[in-house]
Amino acid sequence: MTVAPAAPRLIDRGDLVAALDRAAASKVTVISAPAGSGKTSLLRAWAGRPGQPRRLALVQVQRGQHDAQQFWLAVLGAVRHASATAGRAEPPAAAPDFNAPAMVDRVLSGLADAHGGVTLVIDDLHELHSPEAPAQLTRLLTNLPPNVHAILTTRHDMRLRLHQLRLAGELAEIRAADLRFTERETRELLDASGIALSDSGAALLHQRTEGWAAGLRLAALSLVGHPDPERFVAEFSGSDRTVAEYLIAEMLERQPPDVQDLLLRTSLLDQVNGELADLLTGRPGSEQILLALEDANAFVESLNPERTWFRYHHLFADLLRLELRRTLPAEIPALHRRAAGWFTQHGQVAEAIRHTQAAGDWPEAARLLADYSFSLTLDGQAQTMQALLRAFPAGADHPELAVVRAMGDLAQGRLDEAAAHLAVAETYAGTTPPGRQRRLQVAVASLKLSLARRRGHLAGVIEQARFLASPVTGPSEEDIALGSDLRAVALMNLGTAEAWSLGLPDAERHLREGAVLAREIGRPYLEVGCLAQLGFASIFHGAAMPKIQAFATTQQRCREAIALAERYGWGAEPVIAPALMTLAGTMVLLGEFDEGERWLRRTERALQTDTGPDIRLLLHQTAGMLHAGRGRHPEALEEFGAAEDLASQLEGSQALASQVTGWLLATQARLGRPGEARAALAALDDERASSGEIRNARAVICLAEGDPAGALGALHDVLDGTAPVLGYVTVVEAHLLAGLAHRELGDQRAANQAAERALALAESDRVVLPFAMTGSAGLLEALPRHQTAHAALLADILDVLHGSSPAAKEPSSSPPAEELSPGELKVLRYLPTNLSRPEIAGELSVSLNTVSTHLRSIYAKLQVRDRSSAVRRARELRLLAAGRTRWPRRSPDPGDPGSPARP
Amino acid sequence: MDPAPAPYMIRISGHLGPTVLSAFPALAPQHHGAHTVLTGLLDQAALYGVLAEIEALGLDLLDIQKLTPDGKSPEPGDSRSQ
Repeated sequence: MTVAPAAPRLIDRGDLVAALDRAAASKVTVISAPAGSGKTSLLRAWAGRPGQPRRLALVQVQRGQHDAQQFWLAVLGAVRHASATAGRAEPPAAAPDFNAPAMVDRVLSGLADAHGGVTLVIDDLHELHSPEAPAQLTRLLTNLPPNVHAILTTRHDMRLRLHQLRLAGELAEIRAADLRFTERETRELLDASGIALSDSGAALLHQRTEGWAAGLRLAALSLVGHPDPERFVAEFSGSDRTVAEYLIAEMLERQPPDVQDLLLRTSLLDQVNGELADLLTGRPGSEQILLALEDANAFVESLNPERTWFRYHHLFADLLRLELRRTLPAEIPALHRRAAGWFTQHGQVAEAIRHTQAAGDWPEAARLLADYSFSLTLDGQAQTMQALLRAFPAGADHPELAVVRAMGDLAQGRLDEAAAHLAVAETYAGTTPPGRQRRLQVAVASLKLSLARRRGHLAGVIEQARFLASPVTGPSEEDIALGSDLRAVALMNLGTAEAWSLGLPDAERHLREGAVLAREIGRPYLEVGCLAQLGFASIFHGAAMPKIQAFATTQQRCREAIALAERYGWGAEPVIAPALMTLAGTMVLLGEFDEGERWLRRTERALQTDTGPDIRLLLHQTAGMLHAGRGRHPEALEEFGAAEDLASQLEGSQALASQVTGWLLATQARLGRPGEARAALAALDDERASSGEIRNARAVICLAEGDPAGALGALHDVLDGTAPVLGYVTVVEAHLLAGLAHRELGDQRAANQAAERALALAESDRVVLPFAMTGSAGLLEALPRHQTAHAALLADILDVLHGSSPAAKEPSSSPPAEELSPGELKVLRYLPTNLSRPEIAGELSVSLNTVSTHLRSIYAKLQVRDRSSAVRRARELRLLAAGRTRWPRRSPDPGDPGSPARP
Repeated sequence: MDPAPAPYMIRISGHLGPTVLSAFPALAPQHHGAHTVLTGLLDQAALYGVLAEIEALGLDLLDIQKLTPDGKSPEPGDSRSQ
């Protein structure tokens, strides 16, 4: 199939290309000119010129792009591709949460990584309709790293604040007048296309088109092989019709009927391939026509190297679409329907819904949008989804859409509106046939959990939503896939809600199941979300009984979730915040304050866009713990106070509320304001007041009031295990407060016993924070070393309390130690004490000879010569904790969320 | 901003043929010399929609005027000064 006997060629517009080359030496070049002015052709000619030394990151903005995230993912992908770092990380992936500032940071760091510089080219910027995008783009353009340039094309000037660049002479502009063909170039275009036209004819054509590139190219298409070019130009010049309309009609008329038909019928697609074109024309062979049209330079261009997908030049497509509407109006709905069917089959849901809407099939469009709303959100197309929602005619009532509206409301924190829409959706679900009903109910229940979680009102909802955990069954494979997305979201919401209300075994089971399902169906975002919440679920609750390494397990889970998030570039997104926060919290509990602070800072960055009171409450609580651990009680008070304020915004009783309140009151008392604390204490209801955390606070108040006997009374039920506690840390704290009270009462023996009990309970995790918060240094120092079985822990805690924290330091550069045997580890733990070798042998009930053998072996494996350096080295390697093993040092760096995981 | 539709007159270079005119169903076309004048009642959203079409179709926009309610003569002063 040939389209035209000879193809008009792009001519070498050397002067213009040179002008762009000069302009591109500026930091930013803006090419701003109307449709058809030849902006993209200029870019192509410039990019493809011989000896083009720069690496280019090319971004073509999709037509009518409403999704800032889709745009930035395209930019990031192009930058990574251009700087050849793509192999080092997963391709950038979409996520329901989108943190635009963090994304711009990632693009900037990608640009900075490109050795030798890169030029970022963004074509058709006017198609970007996201309201927040101009501000982010401005930030990118005004912060480009050295050796990086940007070129933008747009039909109209954009709201970019580039005046500083302009003042600095770093902004170049190319406008319509610069792009116009000169008369000489018009002549060259005609010659290059093999069109024989007199000089006066060429001048007339130039005058009539005013050098407008699209007009000249359209004219050339009609003139190629025209029997009488002079007459064509004369008639064209005599016509009053607009240039484009006249020329497109002429050009179409000169195409064979099947080509005309293909162009018209496929004009309603943004992108077309041979299969789709065959479907819309009802004839085979479309791909050959499309290829021939591109070869003929007829406003058709291929979008991929394999040349299977094409798009029409926008101006050309718009005119064809009008022509289609004028000549074949009755066929248009059927064409959209066919296209929608193809896109549904091929998983391009947003496109399918758009065509269903265009066909006027509103109920079907509403059904599709509701069914795929979870998938679209997970694909990072939440804004596209809201744009599709707005396209429904006002006043038409589609109850299916209530679910979609509720999702949008939830994402933007409009909780009351979300609740209202959910109520509509729930009523509607009751009226649908069983197959759909089940799926709608799962969607509604899952969203209700999510809403309840944000409001802090969990218990009742969880009971209602237990049925979420059972699989959605559907008749077809497609239904099962839809159901899997939905079910994975539901499991995450259910498990998260359970974690927040301390339903730990269920939370663990559901989150784990959700993570496995998410991996099976290729939804890494959900997998990360489930794993992050799984880390959080175990911070206090997992330690309800001091199991071996409870916190170590928690930290391991968090690090795994963070590493997975980083692989997808979500290391600073809200989805991973629970794991970041939990890691920070456990670090603080273990007395690793500096490390904890770094993770806390990173958590704050990840939560920039999330103002939910639930997660912010934890942020303040963890910051308060950090300050309290460092003895900065006024700062701690401020943070605990902020956490308490947020807790009061949440409905229902918060599982963690007694902890926040308890620490708040205790800190007030420690700051010499026991009266204030006691007044607040009196205002608590009985249930709260009887919790272990509040009893501890009461003890602190009594101690501050000089009433140690009262303190012991308050602690009684915590110490004998009858008061409910959030975790054993509360009990450690109670023992220490009891020890302080006994000291006040002059009973040193009881004080020592209390301290020893606290140490025994703290040993398995090596928890340090309660010792720091309660100010127990004096209590520990008074404990004779030969009376404690926890001398190593005691020494470590005192180190932290006195401001040096060997555990938090980076490991020394010495080579890794060979692993110690369990027997050697037992001996090792006595080395920080002042017990002699015979005394250690006595403690361990082994022979002196065994202890000596172990000691020699320990020195050899740790590569040291004496006892004190063995202790130092063992602390560096964190070998002194019972049951603790050394961390593999492949954990993520808290300060660098944007970078891909390092090897 | 005035929410009520107002009469507008939009002048475009060249004679718009039936294909391009179909992009402006709400407006009445008239040929004035070498130009096409489109008139009709538009609210702000419709006006911006018309401007976007003009941009998309690569038309040469010459002039826009908001007409006084009697429908013909422009408001006193330069209607483009805001």
